[in-house]
Amino acid sequence: MSDEAAAIAAHAVVLQSDARTLAECVERLRKIEAGLEAGGLAPPWLREAVTAHLGACVAAAADLSVAAAHLHRCAGRVRS
Amino acid sequence: MSGETGPAAGSLRAAARELVDIGVMIREASVHATAALTDGALLRALPHAPSAACSAHRSLLRSLANGDGLGYALAGGRLGALAAAFGAMAGTESLAVRVLATSLRLRIAAVAVDHPELTGDPMLGRLIEAVAADRDLAAFRALRALLKDRGAVRALSELAPVFGEVLALRALLDENPLNDDAAWLIATGGGYATADPITGLSNRAIAVLDTGEGAARRVDLTDAESARLCSRGSLLGFLRNVSAVGTTGRVLIQSVEGPDGVVRHIVQAPGMRAGRPDLDSPQDLLGAFSSAVLDSSPYSRALAEAVADYGLPQGAELALIGHSAGGAAIMNLAQDPEFCARHTVTHAVAVGSPIDFKRPADPRTWVASVTNQHDIIPTLDGQGAGGCFDLHPGWYVVDYFDSTHLFPLCHSIDHYIANIADDLIEARDRIDGQLAPYHGPVVRSQAYLLFDRAPDPEGFPFLTVPTYPVDGPEGPVELPIRCHDGSALTAYFAADPGAAAELLAGTGFGPAVRLAGRALVALYASWNRRTSVGGYRELHLGIVVPGPWWTRSSRVWPDLLRGADRRRSGSYLAGSVVDAAAVSAVAPRLWGGEPYLAPLEFELTNRSARVTAGAADDWVLSLRGLLGPGLPASDPDLVGYTWEAGTTLRSCLRTRGLGRLHPVPRLRLAVAPRSAHPLARRLRELGLDGARPLLCLSAGARQTLRHAATPMPPL
Repeated sequence: MSDEAAAIAAHAVVLQSDARTLAECVERLRKIEAGLEAGGLAPPWLREAVTAHLGACVAAAADLSVAAAHLHRCAGRVRS
Repeated sequence: MSGETGPAAGSLRAAARELVDIGVMIREASVHATAALTDGALLRALPHAPSAACSAHRSLLRSLANGDGLGYALAGGRLGALAAAFGAMAGTESLAVRVLATSLRLRIAAVAVDHPELTGDPMLGRLIEAVAADRDLAAFRALRALLKDRGAVRALSELAPVFGEVLALRALLDENPLNDDAAWLIATGGGYATADPITGLSNRAIAVLDTGEGAARRVDLTDAESARLCSRGSLLGFLRNVSAVGTTGRVLIQSVEGPDGVVRHIVQAPGMRAGRPDLDSPQDLLGAFSSAVLDSSPYSRALAEAVADYGLPQGAELALIGHSAGGAAIMNLAQDPEFCARHTVTHAVAVGSPIDFKRPADPRTWVASVTNQHDIIPTLDGQGAGGCFDLHPGWYVVDYFDSTHLFPLCHSIDHYIANIADDLIEARDRIDGQLAPYHGPVVRSQAYLLFDRAPDPEGFPFLTVPTYPVDGPEGPVELPIRCHDGSALTAYFAADPGAAAELLAGTGFGPAVRLAGRALVALYASWNRRTSVGGYRELHLGIVVPGPWWTRSSRVWPDLLRGADRRRSGSYLAGSVVDAAAVSAVAPRLWGGEPYLAPLEFELTNRSARVTAGAADDWVLSLRGLLGPGLPASDPDLVGYTWEAGTTLRSCLRTRGLGRLHPVPRLRLAVAPRSAHPLARRLRELGLDGARPLLCLSAGARQTLRHAATPMPPL
């Protein structure tokens, strides 16, 4: 089962990395909104939309982190 | 008039671009999670670590179906694509899609900076808001209200600058899974929209209907068109040439002698030809579509054929200029490596064309694109005024708008010419500066008619026959005379049998065919518009006879239905008129006897006919009136007999085309009262002055072959 364990572990690494990327996206989204707000260019609907995306990105990052952790654990169990 | 993007719009576009980047990253995360979920390794791990594997499965499922997180985000691979399609049908969305939708809305906002009417107009604003919020019913109502208030043309024109974005928004958010890829491509600028963003019907599925290897045939322009061609090379000159050639299925190739004395060449390709969607021409609607969607199309292949026929030396420098579909076609030519290996494509200038995803094969090719933001055609590749990607940094792109918002007016070549001439001075100077090597006197011009596939030789197979020359007044004349396009009228009259018998006396032909005791006489007139000897009209008066060696009329009727090669009956010619000296001169060879050379007029419609012989102030006869109801019938061959100096000649006119039989014609034959013309006198003798025909045969379009008459054995 070592092949399976390796494959599952590889998925875990990728998902953990994606979780970090999504966390970075939160920051990027904030910057986009702030930049447009500062320039007085933000359309009235932008704040609500970005706020929704921010929350979703945070939740998605957390979900992926949890999934990565479970995959790690699964890979470990399979290996042992 | 503007072609510049201000800092505000630039910031909004930059933000939209950033959001696309984020959306793509989120989708990649979804693809990775889907891959983990569907990987067999995790399934195989279940028996070995059931608790851990189940937890991993549950957490992955939660990641991919959490409406507050990634959304319904199954993606990638076959299973992912299938699940995504079901998700779309159920109206669920992923976070990536929602972020892209925000990006598209920012693109619309960026366009609105230059086009305040988009947000200032409550109807347009309501439509865009409803689409962005995925409120189908509200969007439908808003669109219906807009169409009702503005009409389709204005509504489409006003939406044009954000047409691609609105379609992509709608496609991303709707329940149709077939258009999602197209919407994704439009939103991310990743490539040509592969499907119709509304229905999801694949572009390629439509484009494959447009088949053909492409062909080109040389044609002459009319004098009026030739007079409009530029005599010196310049951007406006070439565009005016495109206007002069028009959307007629033709293109123009010219050669100019540049300032350095080098002769260079310019291919000028107009846009779509009006008419049925799938004509023989590659410039039809399907051709325009496939030129835009595919890398190679019948239009571009036909262009390559035209260039090959024009005969350019290897490596000759070539500039390509195109409008609308012609722009897409010339770009297809520019991205054809084989074409570019034969010729040096130095410039490609497309006006009002969807070319964002074309790439020249030769990186040295200088490309310019000029588009009006209210013109929908350039946005058909999904990228319009709202585009936030620099898809081709090396190109010179002019995306402008003017006060004319109405499509298709703003798409017309003449409107573009007017804008470039009067309003886009800087752009014109820039492009003209690049085209400087092509500024010089035009030394050669050749127009081509393009085809999807090589057409049959004209007249094939009916008019493809052996020919031979006979002497004419102005040199040899080829026989048989081949008429590619003509029309004819044959009117049958009941004439005085005594007069008919007098005309036949001593000819060896038996009595005229009789009907109710009267002699049957045919008056045949035709206008041979395009023949191997030029256009001409002819008129023949003939007594219908059973034929040589036959005397009984009863055998004639079935015989009349036979083709000329097997027919014995015919008309004994009692007088002929032609209006062309060349034909008159060879008439003794064609049907025997000398015809009268006189003006003839011939008009034939579905309802009426008018035939006159003689000049206006010295007319001989006229046959005019309503044809009455017509029944479809084949246009019959004609057989004529003449007798002169003891020799009988038999002549045949073979015909191809559909005719109409008019059983109750309401025409009337009039003979000029004081005309001393022999034909007038003969008609009076036959009692036909003022007569109405018994029946008529008409043929509005036909082909004919007139062979030389054949001498008959003595009767």
